[in-house]
Amino acid sequence: MISALFRLAVLQFAFNFAGQLASAQAGISQPLLSAMEKELGRAKTELGKRDPAPYFLSYSVTDNELTAVTASEGALLNSRQLRARQADVQTRVGSTKLDNTHDENRSSGIESGLLPLGDDPDATARVLWKLTYEGYRKAQRAFLNVKTQTAVRAKEEDTSADFSEEAAQKSVTGEATPLGVDQKKWEEQARRYSGLLRKYPEVEESYVTLVAQKSTTYFVSTEGSRVVTSSAMIRMVITASTHAEDGMDLMRVETFQATSANKLPSEAEVTKKIEKMAADIQHLRAAPLSEPATVPVLLSGRAAAVFFHEVLGHRLEGHRQRDEQEGQTFTKKVGQPVLPEFLSVADDPTMRVLNGVELAGYYAFDDEGVAASRVELIQSGTLKNFLMSRMPINHFDKSNGHGRSQAGLMETGRQGNLIVSSTRTVKDSEMRQKLIDEIKKQGKAYGLYFEDIQGGFTLTTRFSPQAFQILPVMVWKVYPDGKPDELVRGVDIVGTPLAALNRIVVTGDTQQVFNGICGAESGSVPVSAAAPSMLFSEIEVQKRGHGRMRPPLLPPPGFDKNDKGAKAVGQ
Amino acid sequence: MKRILVASLFVLFSICGFAAGAGTEAAKSSNDPVLRAMLEELNRSKAKLKLDDVAAPYYIEYSIGDVDEFSAETVFGALRLQNNTHARLLRVVVRVGSYKQDSCFGEGEGTVNIAAVEDDVEALRRQLWLTTDRAYKTAGEALSQKQAALKDKNIEIPVDDFSKASPVESILPLVKLEIDSQAWIEALQAASALYRRDPEVQDFEASLRASATNRYFVNTEGSVVREGKTVFAVRVNGSTQAADGMRLDRDWNWATTRLSELPSRDKFLEQSAKVLTSLKDLREAPVADEDYRGPVLFAPGAAESIVDNLIGRNALGQKPQLGAPARTTGQWSAEYKSRVLPEFLSVRDDPTMTAFKDRTLVGNYAVDDEGVRAQRVSVIEKGKLANYLIGRQPIRDFPESNGHGRAGLGRAPGPESAVLIVESSEPTPAAELKKKLIELARQHDLKYGYFVESMGGRSAPRVLRRVWVSDGHEELVRGGLFGELDTRSVRSDVIAAGDDLEASNRIGAVPQSIINPSLLFDELQVKRLDASKDKLPEYPAPVLQSAP
Repeated sequence: MISALFRLAVLQFAFNFAGQLASAQAGISQPLLSAMEKELGRAKTELGKRDPAPYFLSYSVTDNELTAVTASEGALLNSRQLRARQADVQTRVGSTKLDNTHDENRSSGIESGLLPLGDDPDATARVLWKLTYEGYRKAQRAFLNVKTQTAVRAKEEDTSADFSEEAAQKSVTGEATPLGVDQKKWEEQARRYSGLLRKYPEVEESYVTLVAQKSTTYFVSTEGSRVVTSSAMIRMVITASTHAEDGMDLMRVETFQATSANKLPSEAEVTKKIEKMAADIQHLRAAPLSEPATVPVLLSGRAAAVFFHEVLGHRLEGHRQRDEQEGQTFTKKVGQPVLPEFLSVADDPTMRVLNGVELAGYYAFDDEGVAASRVELIQSGTLKNFLMSRMPINHFDKSNGHGRSQAGLMETGRQGNLIVSSTRTVKDSEMRQKLIDEIKKQGKAYGLYFEDIQGGFTLTTRFSPQAFQILPVMVWKVYPDGKPDELVRGVDIVGTPLAALNRIVVTGDTQQVFNGICGAESGSVPVSAAAPSMLFSEIEVQKRGHGRMRPPLLPPPGFDKNDKGAKAVGQ
Repeated sequence: MKRILVASLFVLFSICGFAAGAGTEAAKSSNDPVLRAMLEELNRSKAKLKLDDVAAPYYIEYSIGDVDEFSAETVFGALRLQNNTHARLLRVVVRVGSYKQDSCFGEGEGTVNIAAVEDDVEALRRQLWLTTDRAYKTAGEALSQKQAALKDKNIEIPVDDFSKASPVESILPLVKLEIDSQAWIEALQAASALYRRDPEVQDFEASLRASATNRYFVNTEGSVVREGKTVFAVRVNGSTQAADGMRLDRDWNWATTRLSELPSRDKFLEQSAKVLTSLKDLREAPVADEDYRGPVLFAPGAAESIVDNLIGRNALGQKPQLGAPARTTGQWSAEYKSRVLPEFLSVRDDPTMTAFKDRTLVGNYAVDDEGVRAQRVSVIEKGKLANYLIGRQPIRDFPESNGHGRAGLGRAPGPESAVLIVESSEPTPAAELKKKLIELARQHDLKYGYFVESMGGRSAPRVLRRVWVSDGHEELVRGGLFGELDTRSVRSDVIAAGDDLEASNRIGAVPQSIINPSLLFDELQVKRLDASKDKLPEYPAPVLQSAP
């Protein structure tokens, strides 16, 4: 029932973290891994004597090191380093066929807590011990529920097992590359970047956030897996917002992402982007509202990528095919055409870079310790596969390395790097002419060009409209008669997924990447989506509902010509 | 994680602040970039903020709380979390309407935002500007909502929404956080490593929080206030289970306004070892008997919980929900001028008190969080409720603040106690109280009376001892629970108080101090706690690899 969206987290970092100074480097800790294996072995033996005995136990420990700097109006709001080590203990009681995690009892499979940071094996073992017996109690209680529910409820449509059989994995990769973050330098940079926006009275709130995160995950299971993976990511997010006279919230967001500080764009490039954002804000405020219409639409590659992530990607997540609350648009469409023949879609977490852009959805092993793999979801328009975690569904009884979650939550099938490719392409530079041709062909007054998009969300459940929404920011009316393009605001795409996907006429020839954070039942995970620009023969757009708060009554301080307040002080 | 706020050592100098003239204060405030930004934006808003169809504000206030905090948590001898936070929260209140009836309702109570932690006047002013704008628009809507909500309510005795207060100018020195964090982390680790002496302990933690909070306050009535506080707090806590599964917890807390008043490393380890030993003692102690009704003596550290829960909270002049007829939300809303305690007890609250028996008090302040000067208030006189503690929201018969409007960072102010003092007009020497306890038990035909050393919750004693009538020896018991420990029993069953006043510092959202003596109840019910659901772990704790 969850809406899933690309979200650009800004201020969450400021206050949500139980913080931590990085007092030691988060290299790979052999003593931690040994302590985990030893305590897991003990749990397996000891709990193995109980009835019911767990048939599966795993320990997953994530050591996170984070540096976060947020500035606004040229001054710091927050600057901190955090380090924490979170342990997730998974316990499964029953059998792979039916266990305590069945259906709505899924969260009974996990117990989480913070581990000490150092390598003290005694302290680590004691904390794991407590999490394990508490997790076991939870699993045991839930399994009783599951057995009762299964007895009294009608037979489920999808009678797949609760847990797939997978081969044990052994892989300990090296430490992640250093991020190369100099906090003092970042603070200076954040001040400078955020100070640039102070020049523009139309910009109300604005933030510059720099986040560098390095994490090492240790995974051991009673199946014999032992996987250590590391990752590093730097993200810079710049937001600027304002209100139109009618109260509509308007926002511009720019994100930059890289695996090390020296791969971020230069100061000159960022400065240019910020100035463009400020100019966009000014133009958006003055832009007319769009009217509801059904017209030809051209989506930029980034906009198309988000569109596919929302409309298609979330509906191909494995667990949704067996959850009876879900709409299950694609469940019974395997082997059938669902897209125009010239389009194929894969999810490939093993891909690091596409067209020179580093992909946020890269990983080597998923959060269930299964090796990541490229999955051909749709080939030449025909549905082939789903995004599978270790929760089987009808006809798909294995994971394909897409079981993902944020620490503390149970995994579900999720996207990594969703890649849309096309065989009916024209040069990117010709796409605009294709749009104009389509407008003319249909005899419409105008078409729309979606240049940039902020994110989106989708509803996938049975009891809500099977709808999706993407949040476009820069949308232009394109006229067939040579009249200049006109920026409009308040555009929302509406419609149902299958219908929309089949109106794609032709695509550009370069895939563009959207890196973001995707939120769903199993939490927030970094993802990428890539697609070429796309022409849709028609898309329905509506007016966006919006707040009614008027723009600020007074000009910003410093822009008030007769600011008596300032003079009164000190007299 | 709750934030620590504190009264600082600088409040000791608050008297100097009183002496300074208003002119000097204004001059001083213009040198402080935070106050300068606040005053500049306040004056601009006051002069210009006006929507066509909404009245101009009759009152605006800005408060900024600047917290610099260090905290560290260790478990089983190892560091788990270490945190340095420096943040500023600003809160804007815009009131539309009049003192009689205004927009303070729901969303209209105030608007909170994050502010720059740097002294950049323009950045701070921009944040204040946007927050003020939002607060004003929200206030306009809140006033209409309030009037609509009041329409079908019949209010017999109307009370104003906001009291008038004279402007206060008080600029006290800023405080800074200074602590040797590495030395403390080492001490905390050493303390929590003591669990190795008793492997049956299931949790053993030592933690520290230290903070320096500077608060800035300005309003359109002309108040300009700056006050800083530091607080240092350490804690050791552990848990274990008895052989029958009963969960047992112990902790030791120490909070103060001065770094020099924190225990030394040795003293800290000694206290931690005591906690550890007491866990073992508790584990081995017999369970409380099923039924007991008889005398109970509370040591000052245990009576403090009664003073806080049953006296302090009921003395707050907190206005009830819109249109409700009661005077306050506490249990003493209808007890004004009535007897609420035995005649020999009197209670006052005195935020101006800085120390008690050489120990500084965290509840101390010079000006409250609504810009009203701290006042000593006599709350209960010879057992009778004489005054409520109140902020700027009036209640029936109390039209003005008595300087007790206090707020956690970024929260709406409300009445809170500061330094609450309970005293007896006929104090009994502490040693006599134990004799009295035995005497009472004998009169009740009981074999023992109960002595409570510390509390673990509102009605759960943590360290409870039987004092035997036969020879006066004391015996620790576990699993006791008080029945009927309420305002009625405090009024009627307390028969004596000691001469052993002790101060305790509490570091919740609003720091508070309580000073009270031992209290003797002639009759109280002690039941046995139901611990039937507490189970022992399914398998034993891991064996220690390295020796203690």
